[in-house]
Amino acid sequence: MSQDRYSRQQNFAPIGVSGQQKLKDSHVLIVGAGALGSGTAETLARAGVGAITIIDRDYVEWSNLQRQSLYAEQDAFEQLPKAVAAASRLKQINSEMTINAHVMDCNAADLVSLLERHSIDLILDGTDHFAIRYLINDAAYRFRIPWIYGACSGSYGAVCSFIPGQTTCLHCLLKKMPAVSASCDLEGIIAPAVQMVAAMQSAEALKWLSGNRTQMNVNYTVFDLWSNMHQSIGLNRRARQEACPTCGGQPSYPYLNSESAVKAETLCGRTSVWLRYPRQEALNLEAVADHARELQAEVKSNPYLVQIQEGDFRLVLFQDGRALVHGTSDPLEAKKFYQRYVS
Amino acid sequence: MKILCFAHLSEQIGSPSLELELGPMTVASFVEEFKSRYPNARLDQVMIAVNEQFVEEDHLIGANDTVALLPPVSGG
Repeated sequence: MSQDRYSRQQNFAPIGVSGQQKLKDSHVLIVGAGALGSGTAETLARAGVGAITIIDRDYVEWSNLQRQSLYAEQDAFEQLPKAVAAASRLKQINSEMTINAHVMDCNAADLVSLLERHSIDLILDGTDHFAIRYLINDAAYRFRIPWIYGACSGSYGAVCSFIPGQTTCLHCLLKKMPAVSASCDLEGIIAPAVQMVAAMQSAEALKWLSGNRTQMNVNYTVFDLWSNMHQSIGLNRRARQEACPTCGGQPSYPYLNSESAVKAETLCGRTSVWLRYPRQEALNLEAVADHARELQAEVKSNPYLVQIQEGDFRLVLFQDGRALVHGTSDPLEAKKFYQRYVS
Repeated sequence: MKILCFAHLSEQIGSPSLELELGPMTVASFVEEFKSRYPNARLDQVMIAVNEQFVEEDHLIGANDTVALLPPVSGG
């Protein structure tokens, strides 16, 4: 390969020849190969990162092509798993790198096993719901690997670096896992919001991996490209609580323990799936119901449960985190439907 | 007091930013006041930053401060 390949990046003084070598010696885990995962994986592959492990449970759909930059029409036509389609595109971009692609619904055991088997330098968030981010947060602090949160919805996006031993964790930022949050499925998304978040995550990755660690942005950065607003918000150091179950003095990593794994069970002979999501506190049913109504779903509720109907699917949600999804016998489809309404 | 309303809040309030004659007041009383003025605004779990710092509920917001209301975001 041409010696010239990384010359423009090496000419950037903070990276230089030694930073480039460090990038080559790095291994990054990208969880989720959707819009953000596409963006960061491509940038890091072009930048010469030596190894990328990428995980995704989904396949390419036509509605992805507007913003998920690793995929083309043929991938949607063939309904290829995203991890597979991503790996093949990344290989075309940079044949010198190692790419491990995993088609899986990343649970605690999967994540722990990956982190035990590989020497991962950094984890990039390309996921689309909060339950898995609390899991990544626990895994990152347990294995002392930094992770870069990124998320977007509409024209809005946010990025935050979580560095074990240096910054507070996701738990400290959001003590309760949000019951509802802004996502792409129903609220929509424009590609520039994705690219902005992916660009900021990738810049943090280049800093960390090339040895420019004092340059890390430890603020919560948030923007809205439509209303032209931007904030770079300091995290109150005192907010780090000694009692935090993830980054405190005696961590228990609650989302990593098997008791809190997402459980799915298809009901015999019926097109229904039971789901049990790990929650450390009761679900705010009222907030979920309000949110679903705003999204034009048909909603019925009482103090004990909420029912959300959309087409042939019906979600029945209980306060303790249990849910029944009618209209499918596929646990993955049931989870995706659940996560449209509950983060 | 300047209020910046991110994501769905700007639609619920009708504008991404507001100037209100408020303060000094605590974050907790600001939230109550805001809810009563804008009953359509969904403030559950919204993160609150004052002058680009995350603050606790008892933090005192000054009359000339900028308050950012940030819904949690999960898409990707």
